[in-house]
Amino acid sequence: MPINRAAVDQAQETSLGGSSSVRNPALWLLAAALCGALALALAVGAMPMPFRDILVGEAAFQRQVLVEIRAPRVALAGLVGAVLAASGAALQGLFRNPLADPGLIGVSGGAALGAVAMIVLGAGPSAGPWAAYALPLAAMLGAMLVTLFLWGFASRYGQFSIVTILLVGIAVNALTAVGVGAFQYLSDDGQLRTLTFWLMGSFGRASWPAVLPAALAMAAAATPLFLVARALDLLQLGESEAFHLGVEVRSLKRRIILCAAAAVGAGVAVSGIIGFVGLVVPHLVRLLGGAGHCWVLPGSALLGAALTILADLLARTIAAPAEIPLSLVTSALGAPFFLWLIARARPI
Amino acid sequence: MTLRAEKVSLQLGGRQALKAVSLEVTPGTVTALIGPNGAGKSSLLRILSGELKLCEGRVTLDGQPLHLFQVRELARLRSHMGQSAIIAFDFLVEEVLAMGWLGRPADFRPALLDVVARCDLGALLGQHFNRLSSGERQRVQFARALLQVWRRKEAAPAEGGASHTRHGRRCPDAGREARYLLLDEPTANLDLRHELLALRLARRAREDNLGVLMVLHDLNLAARFADRVALLADGALISVGAPEEVFRDEALSGLYGTKVFVERHRRLNRLVVHT
Repeated sequence: MPINRAAVDQAQETSLGGSSSVRNPALWLLAAALCGALALALAVGAMPMPFRDILVGEAAFQRQVLVEIRAPRVALAGLVGAVLAASGAALQGLFRNPLADPGLIGVSGGAALGAVAMIVLGAGPSAGPWAAYALPLAAMLGAMLVTLFLWGFASRYGQFSIVTILLVGIAVNALTAVGVGAFQYLSDDGQLRTLTFWLMGSFGRASWPAVLPAALAMAAAATPLFLVARALDLLQLGESEAFHLGVEVRSLKRRIILCAAAAVGAGVAVSGIIGFVGLVVPHLVRLLGGAGHCWVLPGSALLGAALTILADLLARTIAAPAEIPLSLVTSALGAPFFLWLIARARPI
Repeated sequence: MTLRAEKVSLQLGGRQALKAVSLEVTPGTVTALIGPNGAGKSSLLRILSGELKLCEGRVTLDGQPLHLFQVRELARLRSHMGQSAIIAFDFLVEEVLAMGWLGRPADFRPALLDVVARCDLGALLGQHFNRLSSGERQRVQFARALLQVWRRKEAAPAEGGASHTRHGRRCPDAGREARYLLLDEPTANLDLRHELLALRLARRAREDNLGVLMVLHDLNLAARFADRVALLADGALISVGAPEEVFRDEALSGLYGTKVFVERHRRLNRLVVHT
């Protein structure tokens, strides 16, 4: 049995540095990128920000715009981007499919249906103090209902297999699209405009009272996703292998689907549907630092936040003072980029 | 101290996959599971690993019913190697091996180096798992299975450093925890040299108090490397025992549906199976 000592020694030196671990230095790079995006998004906008004046207590109006309009908006963009990207990464890991996306299991569709129903059937802005919460609550309810349905259906008829969830998700998506289409048909002109804007995503409604509860919900729902990174790695070997390596596969699946659904539901509820972040960001992160989930999950959250903040910056400045829908930006940039990724990718 | 299946029956997709099969795997022995395709070999392996729930009978690990163990606890005591598929994402070989490590992080490096050296994987360590050939992937999975039940060697008596790290070291330790290695066709897709290497490693695992149960299709290899052979056909255990007892011309010919001749090779001094 000849043993290749030299190769082992070399491998020991070069390859055992924990390239895929939490200590991945690229995380710092992404954190720095996020800080840069934050600073840029706070500084740039329809209204110039004289930071020096604001710091010494002058420019009260600009200060108010910064603190009460721009800051919550940037914070929301960052949070939603982080949650979408991390959920996308977790779902891609769970489905062992690089094309999985929060939209795929019907969550976004359910949220859209809930929101659209509220826009068309709801009382509108005259509904009193709760009006601001009616739309997000309806969206979240829609997301949860779809997830629960998916859950019940898959565990009852399909032994909760991943393929079943995927197929049921596709069917549910088609059904919610029917619902959304029906409401679009029923809506009047004003509703249609609100509705279209909502379906294409926007952080324009962000204010601290709206952002804080959504932030809490998203953080609470998304946190468990980061704790299953290693289990997700093991799952890549296959469900049977993951079981043999000590993973409670059933509860892992349950946890990821419920958490991702709740987190995405909360995000979609406040910001509408934002395309491509959940799909593209995890790919980028894997290109940057490998496929281990201890890196991919936090990396996706950081990069998702940074990119969504920048996309929102573009959406609100490119035609200022008007705003273009956010999904126009993310999809216009994300889709060609995704094509490029596919074209350059070696067979994986 | 055994992994034992007692009168295990299993229905799989409306088909009786196993019929009252009893088999035990003892630490420090190598058992080969042989039989025609569809005989229930892999199913038996997955029953013994706890993955498949049985319909009748029971499986015990050191006297305890298997379902009383936590999944995590079980993973420390036995590993299972199946057929190696492509992984959806682009992991490095080293990362795949790290997935097999359940012990303390501090012990990972010595364990990895030990297993990599033994399995002759040094040259593959930094490569992308999905770009390997199927045989190479199989070797990585084998190493991962070994790593999963790897234990730190008790400090050997003082001796020269060089000879200490040689792979031929022996340090018997009576107090070592019993563990089990369940291998489903570990030699599939392997070339001649690595086939022998894998089976020698399986055989050497006996010294670490591992009980090895492996599905093999090559009867010659089974006769050569196994202490005991269990012959399954159509979900039933036909016979179990030393290769000399199980390998009978008539029985094998009948089960495999083709003429099989068994003889003891004088120069090699072992059983040889001809078809």
